[in-house]
Amino acid sequence: MKKADVRYGMVIDLRRCIGCHSCSVACKSENDVPLSVYRSWVKVIEKGKYPNVSRSFLPSLCNNCEQPICVQNCPTKASYQREDGVVMVDPHRCIGCKYCIASCPYDVRFVNPIKRIVQKCYFCNHRVDAGIAPACVVTCLGRARIFGNLRDPKSEISHLLATNPVQVLKPEMATKPQVFYIGADLEAMDPMKGRE
Amino acid sequence: MDVNVVYNTSYEMPLGYLIATYFYLTGLSAGSFVVSVIATIGGKKEYKPIGRIGAVMAPILLILAPMTLIVDLEQPFRFWHLFLYLNLKSPITYGSFLLSAYPINGLIYAWYLFTGREKIAKILGIIGIPLALATHGYTGFILALGKGRALWSTALMPTLFIISAMVSGVALMILLAVIRNRYFFKGKPAEEKLEDEKLISGLTKFLGAFIIADLFLVFNDILVLMTSTEEALGVAKLILFGDFSWEFLVIEIFLGGFVPLFLIFNSKVNRYMKSTVIASLLTLIGVYSMRVVVVIAGQSLPLH
Repeated sequence: MKKADVRYGMVIDLRRCIGCHSCSVACKSENDVPLSVYRSWVKVIEKGKYPNVSRSFLPSLCNNCEQPICVQNCPTKASYQREDGVVMVDPHRCIGCKYCIASCPYDVRFVNPIKRIVQKCYFCNHRVDAGIAPACVVTCLGRARIFGNLRDPKSEISHLLATNPVQVLKPEMATKPQVFYIGADLEAMDPMKGRE
Repeated sequence: MDVNVVYNTSYEMPLGYLIATYFYLTGLSAGSFVVSVIATIGGKKEYKPIGRIGAVMAPILLILAPMTLIVDLEQPFRFWHLFLYLNLKSPITYGSFLLSAYPINGLIYAWYLFTGREKIAKILGIIGIPLALATHGYTGFILALGKGRALWSTALMPTLFIISAMVSGVALMILLAVIRNRYFFKGKPAEEKLEDEKLISGLTKFLGAFIIADLFLVFNDILVLMTSTEEALGVAKLILFGDFSWEFLVIEIFLGGFVPLFLIFNSKVNRYMKSTVIASLLTLIGVYSMRVVVVIAGQSLPLH
């Protein structure tokens, strides 16, 4: 398959998510993510009044946007986009100006407190390049996370996107996120809710 | 709907007080440089001391300013990457060249001004004005292009920064001119002293005009924030009634805006040099508070 025929993305099917946080744990151990920072995490909210109540989950990670504002704003091109769409940070080039963190509408980047550079989710690029799915996808016990090639019409992710109503986070930011949600809760997607 | 966040992650604010201070210092520098050049080009003899004060302050402040930036980097020894690996889409890249060119031009300008070769100084000054405004205006673009933050991503930001730079620059010039007249040129004849005071009261009127322009821009900004998206309303509430209301309403708007305006334009008060000094001091504090509110409050709302 030619490189231009590959565009990686992820579908998170919240009908299947049980909120067990295994994806967060798998990510931490796979990518050696230090304490206090996360590449992937699950936001949990409660809503309603007894007896009409429920919990919603929102597994979050870098959206690896098609139009990444972080790549546009990085002054040293340390943040760059691979041909397959994965947004990377060159650890040797990043000067840690943190402008990318400040401009990301999803707040998924962080400063690694040990290495003192900016990091984020790279869709486990080292695993994907070796032909296996990201750690969070493999570990998800409900198979809520589906990873694959968006440009291949026969892939599972393309099938899911074509046959389900999907949404992305903050589409108004015009960053074109490549992480799609099925059945995401409006209240969980709203950062302003439940903060008071 | 009752919503309660059970679990979520949060990160430290990426940009802090050092960045706010950096914006403040470049603003002061740009403002004093523009005042200096206007005083030099204006040509009148009595303006010259102001021209010289500005010419000294602008490069000094702008040598301090990038230091705060480099200290703020997580990898300070990699700052040279900014000049080697250019991303022409990033406003920081423009900044790194402006921050180099502008102080160099300012130093040469000051050199020619102090050695008395005013013709060349004037030319350098005219080249320097757009450089100075760009050096401060680009910091507005840094924030304006951070589109995730509702308080920052407005087209007003560069203009607001340039106007507030002029406010702080003029205030600094007034303060330094008063100090100069008071402590370094005591033994002047009464006539010259009167000239100096006239000059200072003229500068004070400039300060008043810039404060009015600044308040007008801030008013526009807040008004649009309140009628825009949910995040914008949230951040407007945060600075009007929330954690930053003290810094914003009391220090920036009241003490840094309305009180100086009263001191400048009320004819009963503005006869005294004291009120001029207090007005300049208050505006200097008010503009710093504005930088802090924009940088820190701008990042205080959760994004996920």
